[in-house]
Amino acid sequence: MMSRVGRVFLLAISVLVASTSLPAQQPDNQMLLHPPADSWPGYHGDYSGRRHSSLTQVTPRNVKNLTLAWSFQTNQTIPLKSSPLLVDGILYFTAPDNVWAVDARSGHQIWRFTYPRGQGEHIGQRGVGMYKGSVFFLTPDAHLICLNAKDGSVRWKVEVADVSKGYWTSMAPLVVGSHVLIGVSGDFDNLAGFLRAVDPETGATQWQWDSTLPAGTPNETTGGMTWMTGTYDPDLNLVYWGTGNPTPVLNGSTRPGDDPYTCSIVALNPDTGKLVWAFQASPHDTHDWDAVETPVLVDGDFHGKPHKMLMQSSRNGYFFVLDRTNGKSLLTVPFGTLNWSLGVDKQARPIPNPEKEPAPDGRLIAPDEGGMTNYRSPSFDTKTGLFIVSANLGWGIYFSKPADGLYGWSGADYGVWGTGVIEAIDYQTGKIRWRHELGEESGAGVLTTDSGLTFTGDAHGNFLALDSNDGKTLWHAGSGSHITSSPITYQLDGRQYVVTSSGGVLFAWSLPEP
Amino acid sequence: MKFLQCTFGVAASCAVLLSAAAAQTPASSPQAGNQIQQSTPSATKTYPPELVESGASLFRQDCSFCHGRDATGGETGPNLTHSRLVRSDVDGDQIGPVIRNGRPDKGMPPFDRSDQQIASLVAFIHAQQYAQSGGKGGRKGVDASDLQTGNAEAGKKYFEGAGGCAHCHSPTGDLAGIASRYKGLELEQNMLYPRHAKSKVIVVLPSGETVTGTLAYRDEFTIALTDSSGTYRSWRTRDVQYKVDAPANAHVEQFSKYTDEDIHNLMAYLQTLQ
Repeated sequence: MMSRVGRVFLLAISVLVASTSLPAQQPDNQMLLHPPADSWPGYHGDYSGRRHSSLTQVTPRNVKNLTLAWSFQTNQTIPLKSSPLLVDGILYFTAPDNVWAVDARSGHQIWRFTYPRGQGEHIGQRGVGMYKGSVFFLTPDAHLICLNAKDGSVRWKVEVADVSKGYWTSMAPLVVGSHVLIGVSGDFDNLAGFLRAVDPETGATQWQWDSTLPAGTPNETTGGMTWMTGTYDPDLNLVYWGTGNPTPVLNGSTRPGDDPYTCSIVALNPDTGKLVWAFQASPHDTHDWDAVETPVLVDGDFHGKPHKMLMQSSRNGYFFVLDRTNGKSLLTVPFGTLNWSLGVDKQARPIPNPEKEPAPDGRLIAPDEGGMTNYRSPSFDTKTGLFIVSANLGWGIYFSKPADGLYGWSGADYGVWGTGVIEAIDYQTGKIRWRHELGEESGAGVLTTDSGLTFTGDAHGNFLALDSNDGKTLWHAGSGSHITSSPITYQLDGRQYVVTSSGGVLFAWSLPEP
Repeated sequence: MKFLQCTFGVAASCAVLLSAAAAQTPASSPQAGNQIQQSTPSATKTYPPELVESGASLFRQDCSFCHGRDATGGETGPNLTHSRLVRSDVDGDQIGPVIRNGRPDKGMPPFDRSDQQIASLVAFIHAQQYAQSGGKGGRKGVDASDLQTGNAEAGKKYFEGAGGCAHCHSPTGDLAGIASRYKGLELEQNMLYPRHAKSKVIVVLPSGETVTGTLAYRDEFTIALTDSSGTYRSWRTRDVQYKVDAPANAHVEQFSKYTDEDIHNLMAYLQTLQ
């Protein structure tokens, strides 16, 4: 039997151990809800999707002195498409089958995880999700891997979907509460789309929301893939997600009607997966125009009244402003030339023109299949009230004939011409306040900061810093390759860094050390 | 037809069977005159089934997003089974460099792949080209025969009138024989936008001297040309004045003016210029 002294001693030891035990592993829910300046704990940075930073060390006056702090070369030909995460001074970013952890101060590699190359499209990887010391990573062969953030060792692995059916995965998971939200890719096959929540400790499925019904359901569509990362409103406790196009892609004859919930913005309860509302950006799409662009959450005035809004610059060429409490439209307006719709219906959804559906002898369509915008993140600048998007004003020709069948693509389409431009949209009217030409293709995603800077890139691989008020170039640096990602920014050791990527290289920019 | 079945298991046997058939059956359908010449050496060569299968697998991983699972075109990437380059390829001598170097101007990245991997992709692409070129039905992509819905007379009127084409083009001048040089989709694409057309540029230096040439590069910061001697010259845009003359821009201006009927009629007319 233990003596009194022994019990006191044991109690003292356990208190000592408890107080010197490891700090709460990051990111925790507090960090995800209120990311501090020295973090970027999720794909969009915070839950709003605005990609707008309050950091002001780099300003329109001093940005001309922005210089390279360090770069990290992956030595791979595959271009980087991920937004890195910054947690506790370490950057985590990806390419298909690969995760790197790099010291954000020096650019030196800490660890690298390589997944054995398997089946599935290796077209891109948007980044990891993180929660309490775990890194969540999706693979081309449609598996979710959980890694230990300290050393990249595997904690568990679960199958998300069957790659042999045509699914693959590429998106950056979103962590909300104790749910890891993951989505799927794949529209070369007629597949049901879904969003799934899994347990961060085990990967076990907590719930699944199906965007479409299983293949073979008469007169119903498949598709609605959840290609990109959604956003979250903690006050309303709603996650907002965009869904992809229906399948078969270019032939809508087997799927008459609107084809819910493809090309839609949906609001789900993150604890149950229950659908709360849905707005369809492209009813009965036949042009491959996913509506998976960032659902950007903005609180502000709309025509004199305060609103909780959701804004999306959609692939089909329309800029949508919705009331995010109920999904009702506030504004639907094109943000470039489009020729495929007959206007909008009573719910402010576009009405597709049957004359502009893909045909055996071809139809000239604007925008092209790549869309008026695509995966490149837009940014909402709370200071100027401008919604800034990397747009592509393009034209394509679309073909579909019976011999193309009713499976997967079911036709062919070809880009004819396009031009890239950054557009700063007044969200209350859809008017474009300023434009910045980028070249013959699209550029990079967009990041804005409170000091009045817009960070992006052009069609030639130039990283750009623009004045958010008028779009004029204040700084640039030639990166040497195509930019296929969206920038992030954070503060570390009192220095503001902007991190961009081009080709297989990550670049960290800051003002010169004093 | 399920893409995956043909691509993963049956493609190999498809390729072998079709190659045997084609060796005996020349293209003799009524549409043969419009179809692209099929009997090229690469189309009739047979590849070992295992090589085609491993190529199919690698193709799905690396290529299918842009070029489609069966190489007939996907998101943004062209149909390889109708490709001029693929038709003229012999054992990867054309295809290999494109895979390794990419097409940076068209958005295709380079792929660092071993000789064996390249060989398997080449085998798969040719097998697909072959599978797509045999007979009617199940065929994806756009054939010249799909593009024959227009009226040549109406197209001629459009060319000389509302289309504005006659401002720059002549059926007996620069467009004489155009339909012998380009056919089908390639003709239509170039008609809509001639991506190979060169732009001219005049650069005025601070001294007042002007330099003219063919536009070689332009972004916000740098303007470059090749002059009449073939020499490349560049300047910072901040240091010079310049004016670009891009004849292809007239095509861009036409996009919002065309009806689809205009396009088909124009195609019909251009195809008479043999």
